[in-house]
Formats: sequence, structure tokens, C-alpha cells
Amino acid sequence: MTSTTNLLAFVGLVVALLLVWRQSWPGRLRLFAAQSVVLALLATVVGVLAARPGLVVVGAVFALVKVWIIPRVLRRIAAGAPVRPVAPGKSSGIALLVAGALVVAAYVVMLPVQAATRLPTQGAIPLAFAMALIGLYVCVTGRDALGHILGFLVFENGVFGLAILATYGLPGIVEAGVFLDVLVIVFIMEVVVVQVRREHASIAEERLRELRG
Amino acid sequence: MILVLLLAIPLAGALALLRAPGRAARALHGATAALTLAAAAALAVAVARAGVLTALGGFLRADALSAWMAALIGLVGALAAVEAPRYVAPGATGRFYPLLHLFVFTMLLAVTTDDVGFMWVAVEGTTLASVFLVNFERTRASLEAAYKYLLICSVGIAMAFLGTVLVYFADVQQFGHAEHALRWTTLLRLAPGLPPRVVELAFVFLVVGYGTKAGLAPMHTWLPDAHSEAPAPVSALMSGVLLSVGVYAVLRFKPVVDAAAGPGFAARILLALGLLSMAVAAAFLWTSSSYKRLLAYSSVEHVGIVCLGVGFGGPWGVAGALLHIGNHALAKSVLFLLAGRVRAAYGTADIAAVRGLLARMPRTGAAFLAGMLALMGLPPFGLFTSEVMIFGAGFREGWGAVAAVGLAVLVAAFAGLLRATQAMCYGVPEREPAPEAAGWPATLPVGVALALLVLTGLAWPPGLAAALDRIAAIVVR
Repeated sequence: MTSTTNLLAFVGLVVALLLVWRQSWPGRLRLFAAQSVVLALLATVVGVLAARPGLVVVGAVFALVKVWIIPRVLRRIAAGAPVRPVAPGKSSGIALLVAGALVVAAYVVMLPVQAATRLPTQGAIPLAFAMALIGLYVCVTGRDALGHILGFLVFENGVFGLAILATYGLPGIVEAGVFLDVLVIVFIMEVVVVQVRREHASIAEERLRELRG
Repeated sequence: MILVLLLAIPLAGALALLRAPGRAARALHGATAALTLAAAAALAVAVARAGVLTALGGFLRADALSAWMAALIGLVGALAAVEAPRYVAPGATGRFYPLLHLFVFTMLLAVTTDDVGFMWVAVEGTTLASVFLVNFERTRASLEAAYKYLLICSVGIAMAFLGTVLVYFADVQQFGHAEHALRWTTLLRLAPGLPPRVVELAFVFLVVGYGTKAGLAPMHTWLPDAHSEAPAPVSALMSGVLLSVGVYAVLRFKPVVDAAAGPGFAARILLALGLLSMAVAAAFLWTSSSYKRLLAYSSVEHVGIVCLGVGFGGPWGVAGALLHIGNHALAKSVLFLLAGRVRAAYGTADIAAVRGLLARMPRTGAAFLAGMLALMGLPPFGLFTSEVMIFGAGFREGWGAVAAVGLAVLVAAFAGLLRATQAMCYGVPEREPAPEAAGWPATLPVGVALALLVLTGLAWPPGLAAALDRIAAIVVR
């Protein structure tokens, strides 16, 4: 169990790092879907090995929501946007460096959590937390609405992974509520972004800077 | 039973309003708000008699703290509901009324569920229900405000989810997958045995997360935009009670953290964030050019004061903080409603453009002035009493230096508010007197709220002292 969960969490983290590095929107979207697949697998594996059938169901719902529905909506959101030109020679070196530092920070912050448990999955907990931090970083540094949403979703993925690894899943009603919330957020985002686009003819966040002070 | 009714009324009302045609919608809207208020009042009475009410197998639970919050939500919801028809064109009822009552429903759910995981879902629900209310006027600025609101609050609240996961982890590690492990009552019972470092870490995430919703600096950046761009009834609800729902969530976790990690930890965090919020708000109270933003920043200041009260602790600090939540809810919702009328008359939210309010709109102006004086914390209004209780608790509980700094910041904020109020209310009006809203819907809610403020300031109605005692006993153990 330990090696499988460690491996899956590690793959999830690598995908998050690739997401920081990748510039093209379709590529980032595919990476997000890939990360969601990895996390759905993680839930299923933990569910099977720890004999928690509920978690297998959660994994299936997670796959449905985050691998199928949400990427579809995100593609719809992106469809009308001008493809952001990738500035030639622009490197994502610094962003990757920050992401690396966040991984280290995740290990430090999660020390008390690791000290409090002897779960076979405990080694992977900081990896999931690092995923969450990287998502947060992508979100706050995002230059357009799509970057913000994507960062938020990666953050959400990281927290989901953390919940799976540290607690073997939350009570069902809470889990259901969380899925519903994320889904509604993404749908509302779609409506808002469509309106913003109508207003501004682009979804670059720089244009959303009128309210100040 | 009354608990289920309290939640069922606004939810059913919201669903029915989705389909109701224009004229019926207004009546249904009024009925829903009135029934919600009645149910909240009935809940308060029932809790005052029985102590604690539960429903749905303990999933819903109302103690004195829940009842206090539910009563405030019902009251401010009713105030906002009376004013709402002035903002909703007959063709747009379907976009406004259902969301308004859904918004009230999510807030009521957040304060009456015993499951802290589901409380998180409900608090997130408040954001989702109110995004399109912020963007109701569909201007560029309101759209930007709605976007910022949705994004910042969703990310913030996701932090609170992380905190909730960590609390659950601590619980499960120590005691196994017990049934109802995320129930607040269970957490409180098991708290002394939880691993302290994990609980501390969880509390940091919870405070950042719910603090975003509560408008604590430095997570407050969405607040002035959303509060100033939303239609006045929505601003009143957001500023009056939504922020307090965020504080409520933190309040629920505080006794758990105190029992697991010792009393100083949560208090220090709350005091630091409270002081920072007051200081940031005081600075912007001096520089805001729009009176709606001024009121929004004043909310940040008052949330800061409430956090100070909770941080100082002791029965006085917590009772003062809860009373302050109530006083602020009344004063701020009235002020936002009046600010909406002023804006309708002057056509702008600029402080500089409003001159001689008392001469041009005598009744609205007088009520606005009274509300502002209350907000500054002057007697005979209730905010004076609750601020005295809070800062008194600071000196009593050994946080003298913090309380002194807080008082200094309070004076700066007072001066900023006074300056703007003076500029708006006095001076020579540039235009002729404007027609004022007449009839009971325009005067009664404002009058009732101001009268209640005088009541909490001068002569506490019977039962209030006992209720505050019981609330304080829930948070301070």
C-alpha cells in the first residue's frame, strides 16, 4: 500500500509541476485531467487496500466530475478566448523554482501531521499538500481567468488527495457537498467569464482592474 | 420541528419564486421573508426555554449561539426584503428573489448544522448563492466585483476545507472512524485528547479560510468591491450577517482548539488579525471616496473589533463580541439601505458629490446621521455598550497593551467616519430637496432597527443578558 500510494501521489505532484511549466492552455487542461485521473486512482487504490468500499465510489464520482464534466466546461470556457501567444524565449524557470520551494515548505508544514500518525499512507501526505500549495500558487499568479480557475482546481485536487491519504476519505455527506460545490463554482465561473468576455472582449485579468482603493 | 421549518421556509420560498410571475413574486417574497423571521424568532424562544434543540438525528442542532445568529439573519433578511422591491424591476424578479432567499437559507444552514464539514458546505453555498446578486446590476464594475468575490472567497474557503480535513484527521487518528466524527459536539467531547500541533495547524487554515469570508485583513480584498457594487439589500445582508457567519465558524472551532492546544494559541491569532483588520480599515476610512466603500471598510473594522473580543476571551469579551455582531448587523444594514436611497437620489456614490443631505432629504438624512453615529460607537446606541464590554474584557483578561492599541485605532477610525459623515450631512445642498421614499416600507424597518440599537445601548430587554451569558458559556469553557 505504501509504495503504491507514494507512487501515485508522486506522479500527481509531478503533473502539478508540469502544469506550472506548461504554457499552452490545451496542454495545461490535459495535465489537469491527467492529475485528476491519478487522484481518482489513488482514491480507488486506498479504498480497495484499506477495505473502504465508500472510497471506491468517491473515486468514481471524482473521476466523473473532474476528469469528464469539469474539463468539458473548461474547454467551453476556453473556446471563445483568444489563444494566448506564448512569448518566445519566456521561461518558466522562476515559477518552477518557486514550486520546488513550495514542495520543501509542504514537508515542513506537514511535520506535525506526519508525527501524529502511523498510517501506511503517511509518506505521501506532504506530496498531496505540495500539490495544493502549487495549485494555490498557479491561482494567485494566473494572468487570466482560466489560470485562476485551473489553479483553484489543482488546489482542490491537492486537498482531496490529502483527505484520502490522511483520513481515508471524509464522511459521505460532506464529500457529496464538496463535489456539488466545486461543480457549481465551475459552472458559475463559466457564466461569469462569458459575461466578462462580452464586456471586455478578452478574459485577460489585467482588464479587471477598475476597482481600486 | 421548528429547526426544520426555519430551513424549509426560505428554501421552499426560493424554489417557488423561481416560477412565480412578477406580481405574485413580490407577495411571495414578502411572505417568505416574514415567515423566515417568524421561524427564527420562534427558534430563539424555543432555545431560550429548552437550551438546545436538535433535529434530523442531531444533524441540525441549535444552541444559544446558533439561535442568536439565526435571529440576526432572520431580522436583517426581513429588513433587506422590505427594501428589495425598490431595486428589482418587475421583469427581473426571477433573477433576484430566489437567490436572495437561497442566500438566507445557506446562512441559516451554516449556523444550525452540527456537522462542521457540512457547515463548510453551507458557508461555501453562501458565496455561490450571492455571486449573481452582487452582479445583479450587470455593470462592468459589478461584474468585476462578482468575479473577485467568487474567486477569492472560493480559494479562501478551500483553505478552511483543508483545515476541516486536518481536524477530521486529528479526530480519526486518535479515536478511529467513530460515527459522527465531524459533529461539533463530538469534536468538543474528544478535543482534550487531540494532537495539539495538528489542531493548531488546522486552526491556522480555518482562520485564514473563514476569515476570508468574514472579511478579516489581509484577506478582505474582495469585500469593499462586492459590498459597494451589490444592490443595497444584498450589501445589507452581506455586511450585516454574512461576515458574522464567517466569524461564527471560527467561534465554533475556538473551544475545540482551546481544549486541545491550550487557551493562548487561538487568542493570539485572533488578536493579531483583529488589530490588523482595524488598522487597515481605519486607513481606508480616511481615504475612501465612495460612501458605500466607506461602509464596507467600516465592516472590516467591526469584524476586527469582534475578533478582539473573542481573542480577549472571558465571558465579557465573548458576550461583548456577540452583542457587537448583533449591533453591527442592525446599524450596518440600515446604513446600507439608506445609502442605497441616497445613491438613488444623488445618482452617485461619491462622498464629495453628496452635500447637505440633512437639508435635501431630511428624513433619510436624519436616519443616516443617527446610523453613522451609532456606527462610530457613540452612546446611546448599542455599539457603545458592546465596545465597552470588549475593551473592558481586554484590560480585565490581561491584554492591556493590545486593548490600548485597539482603542487608539478605534479613535482613528472614528475620526475618519466622522469626517465623511460631516461632509455628507451638512453643507449647502446643490440641488432642490429630493422626493423621499414614503410609507411604512420605507420608514418602519429603519425605525425598528434604530430603536433596537438604542435598546441594546440603554436598557437591555429581558432575556438578553441571560442569552449572552449562555452564548459565552458555549465559547469559553
